[in-house]
Amino acid sequence: MTAPDAEDAPASSGEGWLELAVEVDAEAVEPVTELFARHGYNEGVVIEEPFTQDGDGDNLAVDSSRPVAVRTFVAAADVGDETLEAIRSALWHLGRLRRVGELTVTPRREEDWANAWKAHYRPVRVGRRVVVRPPWQVYEPGAGEVVVELDPGMAFGTGTHPSTRLGMSGMEDELATRPGATVFDVGTGSGVLAIAALLLGAGRVDAVDIEPVAVRSTRENAARNGVADRLRVEVGSAGSDGPFPSAYDVVVANIIARVLVDLAPGVAAAVAPGGSLVLSGIIESREPAVRRAYEAEGLGFVRRDQIDDWVGLVYRRAAG
Amino acid sequence: MAKRVRAYVKLQIPAGKATPAPPIGPALGQHGVAIMNFCKEYNERTSAMAGQIVPVVITVYEDRSFTFVTKTPPAADLLRRAAGIDKGSANPRTTKVAQVSGDQIREIAELKLKDLNAVDLAGAIKQVEGTARSMGIEVAG
Repeated sequence: MTAPDAEDAPASSGEGWLELAVEVDAEAVEPVTELFARHGYNEGVVIEEPFTQDGDGDNLAVDSSRPVAVRTFVAAADVGDETLEAIRSALWHLGRLRRVGELTVTPRREEDWANAWKAHYRPVRVGRRVVVRPPWQVYEPGAGEVVVELDPGMAFGTGTHPSTRLGMSGMEDELATRPGATVFDVGTGSGVLAIAALLLGAGRVDAVDIEPVAVRSTRENAARNGVADRLRVEVGSAGSDGPFPSAYDVVVANIIARVLVDLAPGVAAAVAPGGSLVLSGIIESREPAVRRAYEAEGLGFVRRDQIDDWVGLVYRRAAG
Repeated sequence: MAKRVRAYVKLQIPAGKATPAPPIGPALGQHGVAIMNFCKEYNERTSAMAGQIVPVVITVYEDRSFTFVTKTPPAADLLRRAAGIDKGSANPRTTKVAQVSGDQIREIAELKLKDLNAVDLAGAIKQVEGTARSMGIEVAG
């Protein structure tokens, strides 16, 4: 799954952003934040406080003797000179009460941040056999290892999140005894589970996500791994009104607890007699709600697994 | 030994609506954080608070791993609600746009106490009053 509204971002249509930044003393942070939130995209404001710490990282403390940087971002196309003037004027007035620095306006492009973090992204073992490798890294697989090449772009599922690891290991176990299985991936995100399923021996995989950006990302990643001919992916969800109203040997859904509960009837209906369901993305405190929802659908609980405070669940439907 | 911290970033964003767009993308991307991992975690943990601004303080470590804690809504947000106004004054020194009572300030200070760097309630009240003045909100009494 991708975040809501990601598609609305002006950057996705190729337009630029402006970063508005000002350095202020601690007392002025709240009013400047309030001003920036009024104009900033998604009401968002970034506040970076200077800090001190010991060489070993111990004793982290905010350094209140230095100014705080407050920043917001606006779509360049949406903001005229008069808005910038209004912000400058408000800062000037505030500057008569508190110490407020000069407003800086810097053009920014999505590429500036969309790719910055990739430099730190390494091949990572996600399940028992599956290793996810970013396209810009080389990895020599060991015996029995399956390598998924994945460019996550802006869609969820880079393999480093506990929920992806739980979904992957649960799916690996269910596929191990079912060569050629049919698989349905609900909320596919970057397509990591769907593609891994095919590389692990599934016969055919169908996948859905409500976000078009995820569907695009999954198609690209499937082609990259040479499995596009056995993977169908469409915008939509699980259930009889979704794009794939069939029943499958293995169904995987790595979303979040609230959505898993809402989708329970449709997701459960996609599990064929004798088939398995792997659920992930469940924070521990919400596990009971998810279990109630899926047990109410007539599925038999098989096992649970946990990493940190994230839980994975496996269910099976009795053979017809 | 504690892990070395690379950045200490506070984001003020609407609950459940984190996306890789600004401000989160640029704020975290520059520090090497996998942006979508943060968005998923934040949205999961704040989905019950939809409609509110829920600030979050993110600690990014040198290995690019991160932790975060969510905070109480900002004092300015609470003051706006208490005063029944949409925004603060453009010129807070001369133009007052609303008034709140000492009791309202006290309520906000009590709610915010754990997140403010104030030693006691009296200190927190002074900070909230300061924020109110900066927004052109008068404190009665």
